[in-house]
Amino acid sequence: MSVGRALRRENNVIHLTYKDEIMIKQEIIQRNPLLNLGFENDYILKSGDFGAVLAHAGVGKTALLVQMALHAMMHEQPVLHVSLNDAVSKVDVWYRELFNDMASKYDSAEVTEYWENILNYRFIMTFRVEGFSVPKLEERLTDLMQQNIFKPYVIILDGLKFDESGRGLLAELKELTQKYSMRIWFTIHTHRHEPPREDGLPLSFRHVEDLFDVLVQLVAEGPEVYIKVLKGRSSEAKQDVLLLDPATMLIKV
Amino acid sequence: MKCDDQKIRNIGISAHIDSGKTTLSERILFYTKRIHAIHDVKGKDGVGATMDSMDLEKERGITIASAATYCEWKGYEINIIDTPGHVDFTIEVERSLRVLDGAILVLCSVGGVQSQSITVDHQMKRYKVPCIAFINKCDRSGANPFRVIGQLKSKLGHNAVAMQIPIGLETDLQGVVDLVTMKAMYFDGDNGEDVRMEEIPQHLLAEARTRREELIDAASMFSDELTETILEEKEIPAELLYTAIRRGTLKRELTPVYMGSAYKNKAIQPLLDGVTLLLPAPSEVENVALDMNNNEEPVVLSCDSEKPIIALAFKLEDGQYGQLTYIRAYEGTVEKGCTIVNVRNGKKIKVGRVVRMHADQMEDVDQLRAGYIGALFGIECSSGDTFVSPGINMTMTSMYVPKPVISLAIVPKDNKSQMAMSKALNRFSKEDPTFKTYVDHETNETIIEGMGELHLDIYVERMKREYNAEVTTGNPRVAYRETITQRADFNYTHKKQTGGSGQFGRVAGYIEPINDAEFVFENEVFGGAIPTQYIAACEKGFRQSMAKGPKLEFPVTGVKVVINDGASHAVDSSDMAFQAAARGAFKEAYLRAKPVIHEPIMKVVVETPTEFQGSVMGLLNQRRGMIIGSQDEGVMCVIESQVPLAEMFGFSTVLRSSTQGKAQFTMEFALYRQVPQSIAEKIALEVAQNKKTAA
Repeated sequence: MSVGRALRRENNVIHLTYKDEIMIKQEIIQRNPLLNLGFENDYILKSGDFGAVLAHAGVGKTALLVQMALHAMMHEQPVLHVSLNDAVSKVDVWYRELFNDMASKYDSAEVTEYWENILNYRFIMTFRVEGFSVPKLEERLTDLMQQNIFKPYVIILDGLKFDESGRGLLAELKELTQKYSMRIWFTIHTHRHEPPREDGLPLSFRHVEDLFDVLVQLVAEGPEVYIKVLKGRSSEAKQDVLLLDPATMLIKV
Repeated sequence: MKCDDQKIRNIGISAHIDSGKTTLSERILFYTKRIHAIHDVKGKDGVGATMDSMDLEKERGITIASAATYCEWKGYEINIIDTPGHVDFTIEVERSLRVLDGAILVLCSVGGVQSQSITVDHQMKRYKVPCIAFINKCDRSGANPFRVIGQLKSKLGHNAVAMQIPIGLETDLQGVVDLVTMKAMYFDGDNGEDVRMEEIPQHLLAEARTRREELIDAASMFSDELTETILEEKEIPAELLYTAIRRGTLKRELTPVYMGSAYKNKAIQPLLDGVTLLLPAPSEVENVALDMNNNEEPVVLSCDSEKPIIALAFKLEDGQYGQLTYIRAYEGTVEKGCTIVNVRNGKKIKVGRVVRMHADQMEDVDQLRAGYIGALFGIECSSGDTFVSPGINMTMTSMYVPKPVISLAIVPKDNKSQMAMSKALNRFSKEDPTFKTYVDHETNETIIEGMGELHLDIYVERMKREYNAEVTTGNPRVAYRETITQRADFNYTHKKQTGGSGQFGRVAGYIEPINDAEFVFENEVFGGAIPTQYIAACEKGFRQSMAKGPKLEFPVTGVKVVINDGASHAVDSSDMAFQAAARGAFKEAYLRAKPVIHEPIMKVVVETPTEFQGSVMGLLNQRRGMIIGSQDEGVMCVIESQVPLAEMFGFSTVLRSSTQGKAQFTMEFALYRQVPQSIAEKIALEVAQNKKTAA
């Protein structure tokens, strides 16, 4: 029996109907990875900022960003998820799976309804890596914004190859984010064969490092996955290292 | 009739609409000498393709009903079911896949993996049907088979590997290079019937070698022997390579890809070789029946012709000589004169004529052995029924049948049409489980229900053509539903004392929403407050109330009823009284349980040139659509969205006009979702108006 329903049944009080919705919101807040890492506010990136999650392949970059996206969606902040690797349906599965994992202990009817509501704050766009360019993205964005279909608050850009794309593309993206008051989270694939610098950043990332305001790294050590902040953390950090559950890719709370 | 069960192939040909699968079937029949001339699909010569036997199919150039046919190729018997391509007819596709052992997935070399191919692929996965792919239309401008192979990998997740490479492309398509034998194949003669094998042209040699390497590499995953041969750098025999590829194909872990052009008669024969060499024989596929005597425990069938009969009726057709029932025998042998039992109703049937079909012509046979597909004459049954030998009580697993989402009122023009219409409806609803019909007692109208506008359109059209039933149709109606959103208590007493015997019954309890069932009834009455014999009457009363919601008279779903108290009277209580009490109680609690209306939401996938992406998104947005995402595919772009069915009427016309006819879309049912308040008010107004006019 679900938590919300149990409360309702015990007290027979109608105003507790949306208990589960509140609970699932709290659950997502609790699991907001970066708030736990001591950033000053929920949203971490300011307008025009870049943030990135660095990790080797398969450690959980997309999962972490999807959790951040869910967090934004819950606060009614539109998320544009741009994927250069996966099809729309596959990206959608990421969101569904992570949301369902978080919501598994709550009343399914309410959770479904809540999911349907927050879905309005997400838009998935996929490009082939070779077909991706900033003018193209801007064209798509204006299509959406002019017709009042969707205006993103944050963009998740998954699958961009940094070693190949150079500084030019990122500079154009920076201009775009400033123009439309957005912020972008990137995934950065680090290679096992490439030894990192002392501060943990890969060498191939050096030429664009200054464009980024927040950098977070995922490190797999044995059966655990740690989340470490490399750049942009508040001085009053509450917690130094967070763990990711490798089975569900959710933040351990 | 031959009896080597290893040499039977039951295959389907599935694809996106207009990928040329009917043309392909036609060529297969020609090369296997089942027909002696080739006809175009769109019937320029007035004959039409052999597999499209209905007039309507010939005219529209699409295949509506699966026509089954069989042919022989190099000693193998191939049963082919030509399946429809449009989403509205997926029940046909699903039924075919249910009885088939393998499939050819036809793809267009220009259009590639389109939305319908994805749906069909899902269905193949659901029924675990191994498949080989055929990239058709390599003669068209813009043909690029290797791009399509890439899409098979990226979009459908297939481990696709080329079995051939084309010699020339577009108008220059001359033949193919077979990567197993490393020979060039050309197709001479008026209809490409003479296969000429030659050495590979010099300019293709390097590519052929690379692609063969890829093929061998992929196949080596399924054969240690092959891996050893590669490591020892020995010559790889064709049989060894085929065995490895076959193993991968049967596991659905490898998809061999053939290519050519059916229309230009290129490379159909090697595809037929592929069917016989790579797709499974019936005994290599696991089929499961449910044992009705053992709590529906699944039983794996053995495809043994000596065992008692288990056969599935997968399609019905009304021919000139009565009902024709297509069956597949899974175990045992269906013989002329033998007795079989329909598991659904227990009726014993004596088998009269047994035939094998070739589109709309037939051939009498004495028996159908396990693994064979054929048809029986003069048997009353519905599609999906299981036939068994007397004494056996097994049923084939039930087929997944989606519920209808759209309805339409039809009125016959005159008495003659009325008779014809009822005959037609009777047949259609027997043939197609997603097509339903009933009479609305309030308006006295005949209502037909189905899976989409086109689905119902086709049936109305068929009524006119095949049965001469002239009918006028009303506006399509969406199948709304009601449900409750919170718990509400009831305590209702039904009491009547107006002469004669009185009526008394009191029920108390609560109703609450549930997500995963339509209706649940729980009895928590203790101490006999309601005598046990009346509990069933209570349940019946509540169930009756579900048919028509007190809010807007739409069917109610997702309600759990719990009764925990009540009262009865020694003389005045009866089944009727408790049924009435339950109905009253439901009404009492329902409005307090905050009822809402749910509407069917369709998954709409639009493929459009990128320049129209913005306007297509606008169109979907205007229709209360939620755009899930857009997928950039180079010049084309695919937009996935969820749109309420109520907003989709006439969408095809609007889409055509705003994209210069260059966009196409598919639509299928996705889920039920709550209607927004403003729309709910509109629906309420409409319902009230309809009621007024009906009165």
